[in-house]
Amino acid sequence: MSSSKSNKIVKLESSDNKTFEVEEAVAVQSETLKNMVDDGCANDTIPLPNVNGKILEMVLGWCKKHVDETVTGDELNKYEADFLDLDQADLYGLLMAANFLNVKGLLDRVLQRVADMIKGKKPEEIRRIFNIKNDFTPEEEEEIRLENAWAFD
Amino acid sequence: MRKDRTEMSEDDDRSPPLDLRGADIAESSSKTRNCSGVTGPVAGPGPSSMEFQAPYPDQVLENVLENVLQFLSTRRDRNAASLVCKSWCRVEALTRSELFIGNCYSVSPRRATARFARVQAVAIKGRPRFADFNLMPLDWGAHFAPWVNAMAAAYPWLEKVYLKRMSVSDDDLTLLAESFPSFKELVLVCCDGFGTSGLAVIASKCRHLRVLDLIESEVSDDDVDWIACFPESETSCLESLIFDCVECPINFEALERLVVRSPSLKKLRLNRVVSIGQLYRLMVRAPQLTHIGTGSFRAPESVAQGDPEPDYTAAFAACKSLVCLSGFREILADYLPVIHPVCANLTSLNFSYANVDAEQLKSVILHCHKLQTFWVLDSICDEGLQAVAATCKDLHELRVFPIDAREDSEGPVSEVGLQAISEGCRKLQSILYFCQHMTNAAVIAMSNNCPDLEVFRLCIMGRHRPDHVTGAPMDEGFGAIVRNCKKLTRLAISGLLTDRAFSYIGKYGKLVRTLSVAFAGDSDMGLKYVLEGCPRLQKLEIRDSPFGDSALLSGLHHYYNMRFLWMSSCRLSPQGCQEIARALPRLVVEVFGGENGELHGDETVDILYMYRSLEGPREDAPGFVTILQ
Repeated sequence: MSSSKSNKIVKLESSDNKTFEVEEAVAVQSETLKNMVDDGCANDTIPLPNVNGKILEMVLGWCKKHVDETVTGDELNKYEADFLDLDQADLYGLLMAANFLNVKGLLDRVLQRVADMIKGKKPEEIRRIFNIKNDFTPEEEEEIRLENAWAFD
Repeated sequence: MRKDRTEMSEDDDRSPPLDLRGADIAESSSKTRNCSGVTGPVAGPGPSSMEFQAPYPDQVLENVLENVLQFLSTRRDRNAASLVCKSWCRVEALTRSELFIGNCYSVSPRRATARFARVQAVAIKGRPRFADFNLMPLDWGAHFAPWVNAMAAAYPWLEKVYLKRMSVSDDDLTLLAESFPSFKELVLVCCDGFGTSGLAVIASKCRHLRVLDLIESEVSDDDVDWIACFPESETSCLESLIFDCVECPINFEALERLVVRSPSLKKLRLNRVVSIGQLYRLMVRAPQLTHIGTGSFRAPESVAQGDPEPDYTAAFAACKSLVCLSGFREILADYLPVIHPVCANLTSLNFSYANVDAEQLKSVILHCHKLQTFWVLDSICDEGLQAVAATCKDLHELRVFPIDAREDSEGPVSEVGLQAISEGCRKLQSILYFCQHMTNAAVIAMSNNCPDLEVFRLCIMGRHRPDHVTGAPMDEGFGAIVRNCKKLTRLAISGLLTDRAFSYIGKYGKLVRTLSVAFAGDSDMGLKYVLEGCPRLQKLEIRDSPFGDSALLSGLHHYYNMRFLWMSSCRLSPQGCQEIARALPRLVVEVFGGENGELHGDETVDILYMYRSLEGPREDAPGFVTILQ
């Protein structure tokens, strides 16, 4: 995307009804939005019921940073590293948003970050981090635990 | 690596693993689709049926999870993830691409393939290690056949197979070659049951073969020219060809042609029928090699004295990337200097077949500053080890093998060599040391000087040999090892050892996973100390030690946590073993003893081999095995 393209504005509405206006060049960092733009579907406000305002703002901030030609390589690296320094609750929302909007680079990093949080952890610790309910019966859990330990470790 | 989607039907739910970018984008709800023809973006390959459905939130989560789990590669992390909840278990099972089976009898092929649907690489281990020393009768088991049969149906995209101590037949290899069109890597370590005809099928049918590694395996000579079976007409994508354990002659011209048309070849380990002249011819064709097994490293008998010989030194010098050298199967030490140009870059040197003396070694080793792994024969004597200690400051792994493994031989290496190594090679992580005599002092020195030791295997070949200076048992030496080497996970003990040595192991060896005991201990207490004290113990192999039923019973609380226990020529009775079998129904308790495998009450059990299993007693046990229940 060259910056000489028309300064078309893309309007987005988050799940909690906040509106955001961004330049097309920023919006199309998201493959999802890019496809909509290319298909000519981005003329009206695009509702994003899967993404709340706080997260959407973060993602758009990322996109803006990545089209900003005044940002140096070093600054960008630092920005990306700091970006993922957030609450677990936000991280989860960000994961869903990055997945849905498919922002290049961001999705990889969030996935990696989430994976890093899982590495070396026991199952109960993972459940706590992501607030996941254990829906195994004790018998089911024991059988898988045995299978893992006896056969696949 | 990813299979072209067009080759598979869309209904096939055993589709290949999704590409990382293929996180199916959650179709936003119909509210956003104001324009016709908008189907919602899919960023990469993915089941096309997703494009036309509104997603369930669970599906989004599972797609995302699939992508997160791609980043988890270790077994431990994957096993933990699989226990979080049902959907995680399901997704983890779908995304595990490398399957590791530590004991082929712990789980059935059917069960493994039912749980993990999209496996690309499999590693399976069979017989216990003591089988290498002829302690286990032939035809005991560990057959690859049921596995390859199950996988042929379940894993058409299988690319890699690694087998250790399994029995593999030519039919198995044929089935493998015919069932897996993407097959890339075959590694067989300490395997048997197949021959050159099986290799021929692999060579000819596995069109994408990158790795064919035969390591310490027994390969029967079927008089088949398997090297010539690699397709001649095309460039080969071969990266590694290791066949130094294959005892039969090979077609050298075919090998040369193969090397010429394999520009990616990095590892080539020749067998001992290859002469140094032939090695030369291959090296000049493949200067890109990083790992070379030299073959015999001598000229054939037919070469007369005074015949002009090629410039071997130049050939070695041309291999700028060479880091690993092995072979020297029938070395003529006169040729040793030709490897000098590569010594400075070597990280791994295997002289374990090379009968070289201290002087000959010194001329080579003094150049090997970067050496990290060194395997050698004790023909180099303590003096040779001193030279190693003086130069190889980066040494991580040392193995010193005996030329003469008899109990009463002279023993050219001793505590002097061990002490020197401990002082010179402070970064040592793993040592295997055969000797006739040892002292506690040298072992204690090593425990102090080498804090990074993870593997300590000392084999004092004379049975029940005490410290040959003080006459004391070797208890204190091994005690120091477990006490001071905080990272120790593997230990092999020998020499005259009392129960005290075992008490040390039980008290300090908290990380020990593998323990090997031969001709050691005074009483049942020895084994009790270990079974009660070592929570991480996974593999325990014991021979010719005075441990009986009472000791065996003291481990009841732990046997389900272990991969296996092997006890041979100890003092176990059939009743004792029976009691274990009764108390732990999911343990498979195999005993081999007596004429027809029948045990009589007054006999001691020759061999006990027991392991936990999800499947119950195996059905392929040969006649001489009794499985107690």
